[in-house]
Amino acid sequence: MTSDQYRREYAHHLVEQVKKGHMTRRQLLVRASVFGLSATVAGQLLAACGGEEEPSGDATASALPEPVMGGTIKLIGPAPITDPDPVTIYDQGGIVLVYQFLEYLIDLDNSNGLKPKLAESWTPDETGSVWTFNLRQGVTFNDGSPFEAEDVITSIERVLDPANGSGALSQLSGVLSPGGTRAVDQYTVEFTLDKPYADFPYMVSSGNYNTAILNRNYDGDIVKNPVGTGPFMLTDYVTKQKATYVKNPNYWGKDAQGRQLPYLDGMEYIMVEDNSAQNLQLQSGAVDVQPQTVFQGAQALFSDPNLRVDIYPGTGIREVAFNMNVDPWKDNKPLRQAVAYCLDRDAINQALYDGRSNLGYDTFWEPTVFPGSPPSTPRAQDYDKAKQLLSDAGYPDGLDITLTHAKYLENPQYAQLIQDQCKPAGINVKLDQMSYEAFYAGDDADYYGTTPWLNGPMTIVEWGSRPAPGIFAAAMLLPDAVWSSSHWNNPEWVALFDQYQSTADEASRTDIAAQLSSIQQDDTPILLAFYITQLRTQKKNVYGIQGPGSFYCDLSQAFMTA
Amino acid sequence: MLRLIGRRLLLMVPTLILASMLIFALAEVLPGDVARSILGPYATQEQVDLLNERLGADRPIYVRYAEWAGGFVTGDWGDSLIFDEPVLPLVRRALGNSLLLAGFALVLIVPTSIAVGVFAGLRRDSPLDRGITVSTLSMTVIPEFVSGVVLLYVFAVWLKWLPVSALPPSGSPFVSRFYYLILPAIPLMLLELGYIARMARVGTVQVLSMPYIRTAVLKGLPRRRVIFGHVLRNAMVPTVTVIGTQIGWLIGGLVVIEVLFAYPGIGNIMVEAAKSKDLPLLEAAVLMVAILYMVSNLIADIVVALLNPRIRMGG
Repeated sequence: MTSDQYRREYAHHLVEQVKKGHMTRRQLLVRASVFGLSATVAGQLLAACGGEEEPSGDATASALPEPVMGGTIKLIGPAPITDPDPVTIYDQGGIVLVYQFLEYLIDLDNSNGLKPKLAESWTPDETGSVWTFNLRQGVTFNDGSPFEAEDVITSIERVLDPANGSGALSQLSGVLSPGGTRAVDQYTVEFTLDKPYADFPYMVSSGNYNTAILNRNYDGDIVKNPVGTGPFMLTDYVTKQKATYVKNPNYWGKDAQGRQLPYLDGMEYIMVEDNSAQNLQLQSGAVDVQPQTVFQGAQALFSDPNLRVDIYPGTGIREVAFNMNVDPWKDNKPLRQAVAYCLDRDAINQALYDGRSNLGYDTFWEPTVFPGSPPSTPRAQDYDKAKQLLSDAGYPDGLDITLTHAKYLENPQYAQLIQDQCKPAGINVKLDQMSYEAFYAGDDADYYGTTPWLNGPMTIVEWGSRPAPGIFAAAMLLPDAVWSSSHWNNPEWVALFDQYQSTADEASRTDIAAQLSSIQQDDTPILLAFYITQLRTQKKNVYGIQGPGSFYCDLSQAFMTA
Repeated sequence: MLRLIGRRLLLMVPTLILASMLIFALAEVLPGDVARSILGPYATQEQVDLLNERLGADRPIYVRYAEWAGGFVTGDWGDSLIFDEPVLPLVRRALGNSLLLAGFALVLIVPTSIAVGVFAGLRRDSPLDRGITVSTLSMTVIPEFVSGVVLLYVFAVWLKWLPVSALPPSGSPFVSRFYYLILPAIPLMLLELGYIARMARVGTVQVLSMPYIRTAVLKGLPRRRVIFGHVLRNAMVPTVTVIGTQIGWLIGGLVVIEVLFAYPGIGNIMVEAAKSKDLPLLEAAVLMVAILYMVSNLIADIVVALLNPRIRMGG
């Protein structure tokens, strides 16, 4: 079967899934995008499904006024923690900074689906282990050099080289090895994977933020030589203060009416560390957009008549891990479940996020968060059950446990809530709070064996958004995952997960996901009480910002009305 | 007098050496490491080790200290490890910003607090005196991040009288910077006002009880001349000493204010450098503050000596 035939088959299969009620229309769009089916094809598929249109996830799409040309938008957010090298950045400041002039092969849309960017289309072979990407033609870098397959290859090989220290390597390891990327021709790139991998397009999307496409001659200093294909060009960068951009007059992008993008003349990124200081700047009208708004302290923004806070389905989590290398969690499933039944997830969501986040039930496959996931069973607070489980676990009179966490973001409040909610069941939680630096520090000789975040008996670890459930699971639940704080090793789950990663057929994939989900929930290696939605705040006259909230904020179609 | 200054300047050298060693040693004890800060928690340990090796951060502490100190005295302050920029211009720019803010705050603080203190002292035990003492004292106990947020909200967000940021847009004339510095300077002023005003008040009260003041009043000198010619000059000695030491406090207060107002000063730089163990940057920033502290104390001593000839003799 040729890959075109294969894609046709797959498209047909998706329509069948929707018709049978195994999949929603939104899920179809997301899966179609992963398989590189174009928006037009996806639209035809939806039409073929018949039935009612579902409401769009985009909060602003329906009320979009006519674009206004010109103007400069001011963004506010934290400064990059370090020198902003796209190969190594991991923080909001760094990502927002480079995202304005660099682009990826694929972008994430507002519901974590994939959107063609520098790649116009992509197709897997029938095993899912060789992926062919067709690149956009006629794109030039802002230094005038053409964008070609060679730039993709050097960009990907760069993050795969351990010497470059890229965080993307940890997501790609075991999936794509050095030398696995080759140019078929000037505008076609072929990735030969280490194993079949159905979610591969996510790995080279903006969801894996170190895979930005850099010029083949990238010299390691993006601030001095800000060469990219994006809608803006960096003209000035003052460390810890401000980045200034002007529009890229030769940008390849056009809007639906064929008008040249971006609409804006330029933009600025104002760097302010403190959240309340950022909020005050927004309220005073000194800046226009805050790409990521933190829930704590944002109440005033919600009620400000001049501002609009958009909510996007985020997938950031706070993993509460039980370290199964040590007592009391080792070989004691009832005890872990007992803690899970102590949590009142609604109350936590209310207290931490004003009730605006999505609830989690200790599994990564949550359909409201990751379209395409099988339904998961809610786990409600149930002290009778918790006490029974505690007794089964060998602690009828309760026990003392320690919860280690960093004094960072909402972790201290979350830890406090866990402590309060566990008490009635007889579980006394002692809080071991440390600084962010101490929590992630470790001995040079044996970092993984000493750092608190991977070795505390019970820990809270904060994770940023990941676009697909499998990416989370691979990063923290596989026995060989370097970031496993739970040190879980369930052979049945591991074998199934391997199958899941390589299965393209949607029905079997959903079936495997359902099994993975129920094993994970039942064995309870980690608690996932919620998925944090993303807030983006802007003045009411700012429109057209794209991207699923958070750091990825694409201003190519943004504009300001008078 | 010159000998006093010379001796004090000489004393600064061993103090600075000791301070620089302490910073190195303390940073060693702090958790975290440079490469981890640069690459983030999700980089693998192999990647972190490789970077540490490249940065030279894996060598013994004394080797790194000797290398840094050698460079520092010869004017080569090295590169900031996290920002990948030369330290010298980074620190120079930040220090300039901080000095401007601190200087502007001092210009507001010193005359105001002396006037308030002397005024209270001259009306000792009156309701006005008590009112001033209580209100300035309560202002000193309000942390600057609290007063800063309240002031920002009232004057920048609500009334919109003053700008919310501490820096004017690029290209603005230099004088406009002071307009932008009014809001950040006020919390610093509130914090210092209490200390200095109280010193000025006590000094005034003490001097007023001196026989020479009684003589001056009895011989019929106008009240204005008594105050400006005798009271003020003598009451200033303890006040100036306090101002000198408060400059150190002021720089400490700057850390909080700079973070709150996103002002790119030395306090902001120190916090960043300490968090990520960026030693070249941290050393340079802390030593600059230390020098500033010592110099301001020295200047205070000189002013005191000029005001009080007995100290000058003893010096």
